[in-house]
Parts: sequence; C-alpha cells; structure tokens
Amino acid sequence: MRLPSPRLALLASLVLALPLSGNALADGKLAIKVGRIVTMSGPDIVNGAILIENGRITAVGADLKLPWDAVVIDQPKMVAFPGLVEAHSARGMDRANENIDVAPFLNVRDSIDPVGFYFEDSLRWGITTINVQQGPDCVIGAQGLVVKPVGITIEDMLVKPDAGLKLSASPKRGFSPATQQQALRSAFSELRTYLEEIVRDKQQGGERAKREALFQGRDLEGEKSKGKAMGGNAWKVEGLEVIPRGEIDEKQEPLLALVEGRLPAFFYCARPMDVQRALEIARANGFLARTTLVCNTACWKAVDAIAQAGVPVVLEGPLVQIERDPIDGREIETFVPKIFVDKKVRFALSSSNTTTESLWYQAATAVGLGLSRDNALKAVTVVPAEILGLQKRVGSIEAGKDGNVLLFSGDPLSVTSFVEHVIVEGKPVYDRSKDIRVKALLEGKLPAGTAAADEKGAKASGATAAKPHDDTGTVPTDEPEPKKKD
Amino acid sequence: MSQMITSGLLLALGCLPAFAQDKQESSNDWNVFAEELYTADGGVIKNALVRVQGGKIVAIVPGGSAASGDDSLRAAGMTAGMIDLSARIDMGFASVEQEHEISPGMRIADSIDLFDPEWTRTAKSGVTTVLANPRDDDVIGGLGLALKTAGANSVVERTLKADAVLRGAIGTQPSQRNHPAFGSPSDIFSRRPTTRMGVEWEWRKAMYDAAASRADKSRAYQGSEHVLAALDGKLALCIQTWSTQDIRTAVFLKEEIEREKLGSPRLILDAAAEAWKEPQLLVRSKAMVVLPPFPLQGRTGEGSFMAHDTAKVLHDLKVPIALSAHGTGAAETRLDRQAGLAMRGGLPFEAALAAVTIAPARMIGIDDRVGSIEVGKDADIVLWSGVPFELTSRVVGVLIDGRLVLDPRPDKNSAAAK
Repeated sequence: MRLPSPRLALLASLVLALPLSGNALADGKLAIKVGRIVTMSGPDIVNGAILIENGRITAVGADLKLPWDAVVIDQPKMVAFPGLVEAHSARGMDRANENIDVAPFLNVRDSIDPVGFYFEDSLRWGITTINVQQGPDCVIGAQGLVVKPVGITIEDMLVKPDAGLKLSASPKRGFSPATQQQALRSAFSELRTYLEEIVRDKQQGGERAKREALFQGRDLEGEKSKGKAMGGNAWKVEGLEVIPRGEIDEKQEPLLALVEGRLPAFFYCARPMDVQRALEIARANGFLARTTLVCNTACWKAVDAIAQAGVPVVLEGPLVQIERDPIDGREIETFVPKIFVDKKVRFALSSSNTTTESLWYQAATAVGLGLSRDNALKAVTVVPAEILGLQKRVGSIEAGKDGNVLLFSGDPLSVTSFVEHVIVEGKPVYDRSKDIRVKALLEGKLPAGTAAADEKGAKASGATAAKPHDDTGTVPTDEPEPKKKD
Repeated sequence: MSQMITSGLLLALGCLPAFAQDKQESSNDWNVFAEELYTADGGVIKNALVRVQGGKIVAIVPGGSAASGDDSLRAAGMTAGMIDLSARIDMGFASVEQEHEISPGMRIADSIDLFDPEWTRTAKSGVTTVLANPRDDDVIGGLGLALKTAGANSVVERTLKADAVLRGAIGTQPSQRNHPAFGSPSDIFSRRPTTRMGVEWEWRKAMYDAAASRADKSRAYQGSEHVLAALDGKLALCIQTWSTQDIRTAVFLKEEIEREKLGSPRLILDAAAEAWKEPQLLVRSKAMVVLPPFPLQGRTGEGSFMAHDTAKVLHDLKVPIALSAHGTGAAETRLDRQAGLAMRGGLPFEAALAAVTIAPARMIGIDDRVGSIEVGKDADIVLWSGVPFELTSRVVGVLIDGRLVLDPRPDKNSAAAK
C-alpha cells in the first residue's frame, strides 16, 4: 500500500532522510514518478518511474510495478535527470593550495570542509558527485577524493578514495615554465634515485628503508610485508621486489603509484604551451593512459596534441576564448567545446562557480553556442563519470547505478527551470521549497531574526517615518505585493 | 497592424525582388525570414518575412517562406534590436567633468570614442541602441545621448536623440574619494560634495536655482537651462540610485519639486537594484526604472541587495521597467542573459522582451524609430538561433539600420570571424 498523498510521501521521506534516521531509508525503497526521465543511457521516458532500493537504482521504466512498501515521490510535471558530475574542482577545502612544491603525500581528505557553503550550493545546483583536487598552484599536489555534497564527515561524503593526484604544468607562483618543468622532472628522477638506493642498500644487506618505515611508525604487516616487481610501462627499477611495499617512503609511494599506473593523474594546463610539457611528463613516466588534462580555455590551441595523446579534458574557464588580434586589433571569438568535438577529444565541462555558472549553466550555454544538446548533457554527466572511473555508479539513470536523481521544474536546460529536488543515493537531500537561501536570492525574503532581515526591517520602518513627504495618499508598504505561489 | 498588412500586400509571396547574389555587408536591403517573429506586444508571427529597404522596415509578411537559394537572411527567431539604457560604454574618467560637480551643460557626445571595441561587442550581442551617459562621479554629470551601436564612424550620424536625458547620481558615488580642499591643491578630489547630504544639497540647489532663473536671470548658471528643461519634464531626468535610500531621495526630491510647484520631472531611476523593497513608492512617484544586471549572490553596487524577482514585482505593479547590462565584459552579463534571468525571477517572456526593446525606447522617447519591428521603423533586427533569452539560444544575426553587423549565414559568419 502506498502512502495516500504524494505530499505526505515526500514529507515522510524527508523525515526519514534526517541524518539520525538516515539508515531507515537507506534500507528502504524510494520510487520517483515524473513526467519525463532523461536517462542519459537511452531514450527519454515519458511518464516513467525510477525505483531506488538500498541507495541503488533497481528499475527505470514507463510501466514499472512499484513495490507496496516504497515511499513515492509523485511529481508529474517535473523532469528527472541524473545528478551532475563535477570532474574536477578545487573548491570545498579550507585552503586550496599547499605551500610545498611537491606534496603527493598529502590528501585533500584533511582539507575538505564538509559544512562549507560550497557543498550546500553544489546540491542546490544539482551537482551530486565532485572530484575535489588541490588547487593548481603546485608542482605535484595532494591526492584528491571523489565526494558527494551530503554529510558532515568525510566518511559520510566519500564516494571514491584514491581519486587521483594533482599535477600542474603551469608555473607555480614564483616559478617560470622552465623551473616548473625541471621540478616535475626531478620529482620523478628523485623517485627513481630513491628506489635504486633502497634496492642497492637492501641487496647489500642494509635495512635503511625498514628503519625509516619503523621510525615513521608505518604498517609493515600483511600485503605491506610483500615485495613486488615494479609495474607500469615506463622506466623500471630492477630488483624492487626485494623491498616490502610497506617500507617505501610514504612521501614517494604516491609517485610510484602514478608510475605503476595505479593512480589517475589530473594535470593542470593554463596555456597551450603547458599541454605539451604535461604530456611529456606523463609519457616519460608511464601514466599518460591514466591522465586527464585540466585545461584552461586557451589550451584548445594544443588540441591536436591532446587528440593524438588520446587523453580526456576537463574544460575550465569560459567556454569562449576572446582574443585580440595583435596586428589589426580585431576580437576573435573561439567556441572551444566545438573544437574538442570536431577533433574527437572527450571533454567534461566544469563549473566556473557553484552559483549561477554551475554545470547546469555551462551545459545550457554550450548548447546556445552551438554544441549539440546530447554532447552538452554528456559533458556534465557520463563523460565526467568516465573520467573519474565511476561510469558504473554515476552519470545516468539506469538500473545498477547510484540513486542520484535531480528533479527539475521543467526542461533541464531551460533558463526558467529550477532544481526542485535532489535525491542522493536514494535519499531526498534537497527541496527548493525549503531552501531559505534561494528564497532570499529570488524574492528578497529573508528569514526573521537574521541580520539582513533586521536591516531590511529597519529600512522599512524608515519608510513610514518618511510619511511627511507623502502627499498623494498612498502609504509605502514594507512588503511587496503578495506573490503567487507557483 | 493594418499598416503592416497593407504594405505586406504590396509584396505578393514568391515574387519578391531578387537581389544580386552574395551581397556585401554594405547593403541595407534585405529579406529577413524567421520561423517566429516576436512582436513588441508579445505576439508571435509565424514564418515572418521582413522586407528591409534603405535601412527601414518596409513590409512584414506573415506566413511567408524564404525561397531557397536566394540570399535572404534566415533564423529561428526574430526580435527588434535590443536597447540598453545603461550600457556604460566609454564611461571612463574622461567623461567626468572636474570643473564643477553640477555640470548639466556637458555632453557625453563630445567624449564618445566610437573606436572602442566595446561598441562592436555590444552590437554583436544584439544591442542596437544604447543610452550613453557621463559617469556618475558628478552630482549632475551632463546630457546623455541615444545612439546606435554600429554604423558610420560619426557620433552625429549614429545619433538617435541628442540630449536624450539629463544624467546625475544620488548616493555615495559622486562624493566618493572627495575631500575638503586641504593638502595638495592639484588633487582633483579637493572638492565638494564629501557626503551623501552634500550630494542631496547640490541637487536641491541646482533645481531651486534653475527654477528661480525663470524670473530672475541672475540665478541662472552654466547649463541651468537643461535643469529647467528637466524640471519642466521636457528632458527626462535619469538618476543613478542603487539602494532604497537613494531611491527614496530621488522620489522625495521629485515630490518636493511638485509640491513647491517648481515643475514636474520625468524620472528614470537607473541601477535601482533595491526597487523591489518599496515598489509602492515607485508606483506613487510614476518613476520609470532601469534595473542593473542581476547579481549572482544578491549583493550588488553600493552595498545594495537585488532580489531576482525585482523585474517581476515591478512589472506586476505596472512600473515601467528596462533591463541593462552595464557593459559586455563577460558573456554572462550581456543584455539577452539579463532578460533570461528576469524570466527566471518570474517575469513573463513578453515583459522581458519589452524590457529590452520597446519599454526603454518609450522611456527616452525614441520609440518612433526603434524598439519594435514595425513598418516604417529603423531596420534594427536581431536574429536568434532559438527562443530568445533561453540559455540554449544565442544571437546569430544583427542588422542595424539595415546593415549587417553579424551575418547569420553560417559560411559568411565563419569567414567574418577568421
């Protein structure tokens, strides 16, 4: 038996979604009935339903038989869309950049602020999966995490650890391109020297690596006690199998993981000249196949090199590059995503900010500028999911995937559509009608008791005080005309 | 409408005059076809063919079709060229007269640089007419000018209406950085006013002196005849007012002038971000409102807060509104996007279209020439790739006075871009 009214059902589901009783729904069933489902895995479904059980989508279709005990969200006017996927973001951290040039041993886990406004705002704009990476002001940065913008601890938020290592081909502050490249090369040559030294030391009966490991208090049990020959397809250090993996310095291990192809890389390029240098480092150290370039708009000029390397791109910055011709001074506009499509480069769009220029806005604007609707939608769903290696979990609405669903008030790309509800892993986590910040932005309605509301109240009473000026008979009111509810 | 149909009858479908193939951009005779023509009153004409001759619209044929192979301009959507009353092009310090904070005789026309690339960018974004004003670092900055955004390289030839408004500002900007005359005497900021009170005092003095000069010529000052024209309502009075406090000051000033029987100014409040807070004040004052660009997080100029439904609230109360972009720096803030954001805040499409076309034209009295697609009006036309103001649509073609500024024909356009 279903709950009698959809509204009641929604209310019930929201109550269930409270953090304390969250597990109640996680074990339960949620059915979402909408006017249209944009699945991103096949054709759209008109008047369909999505069934989510234990946080996973178990069925999608037009004629689903819903279980009697499912909580039902029934919104016949709304459009369901997969949760948007942010392939790379340097937001949500206490500080986005680390001082140390080469810091692969750090992890953004220690820097993410779960209650930061960024995550709240991401949800508001329908972003349900985010790859948080260190900012680009580094040589080799920290390891990133894929998170969902839900929860108040990193454990709650975690979608995928070991999301990848951040590198930058663009000079860190105070560096020139040459010093940057030298620093990148030497980070890997130092790794090699280090590995060769500990192997030689071990072969000569020394215990240097072990002593340091014990000194650092590292775990040397189980898998960590076993040695393994060096993997990967680039340079090799012979005899590495003599070193138990747990003995390898934790400052070097992430780079070794990169070279062995165990860790993805997100390589930042600000300018076209950076692309070539990033590809050189990735090729020389055998992690090209696991590299994603995080490219600023201008990098489209290196599109041939990108296409030849076969690496995907996360496009940052404006969609259109505006340049001034150095000779005749004319402005030249280049719409970058179209060039990537023409050259068959896989690319994901990214949010310029979380507020208005979020993924939703980028996709819609890209369509306006000439990208096909299908390509634009893929660039914020399935392509970033592939880039993150999460193609089996997020990016589309189909059985087996995580229950991440957005309900839009209309067509997902229309300027008048809003994200009304967000469901993450089967739990309703956002409802626009209860979002006081959106209400404040949209209608100037501020919750009573806030500083801003008090300020407004003070001004409004000032209007009454100004009555001597009012000869025409009408009294200025504090409130605008009552608004119609939509 | 009847005029339109009559002229339309002159051109039977299918026997439209054939033009020479591959016309140059210099031509101002065109057949412009769109699947949907959005008229100023909110109507839609399906499959409209607009005939442009000598830079004017000479016929509108509903239910037409563009013959294939000819050189008609075609697009999914067509609207009149957009009008921005606060485009803020070329408003550098060069437009701030330093001699006196009340400089009503200064004409922005004399400091406009038509070679600024901003003009081309504005024109290509679909804005065909702008109101150029002096920058608001003076209390009364001078006379604004309505002009086309592309065409001849001559301000005179591009002008739609010289002395379109008398421009000034209320609030902190005219007094910002000013200080009393101590220290270095060459400092341009050694001048009044230094406070918001001072700004209002300057306004009142300028108005009372101008009014008094009717009887007593000795009260006249440089440019006071323009302030007089504004008092008489012959010249619109365009005042920058960001916050509620600024808006009140402007409205109360107008009401004071009327109560003292000194005149009856036609008030245009520019950048009135907080107009939503006391909309009844605007109804009462019959002021017209130009809204600044919608801010991402609500906070905007001079510490004011602009709700995204501001345009809707004012429209519902029948306050005349126009939208503005304050320049074309980023694609996100251009005028078509402002119309979209106003719709996101609840403004109906027809009202959003009016707020960037016919409404601003009426505010400064240029609606006899621009602001809608009608027979006899200037051929200022914008062609759209889809429904105007949607994020998924863009401006693909622009005609100003019948001349192509942006060519909607794909091959031509890409050639022009290279």
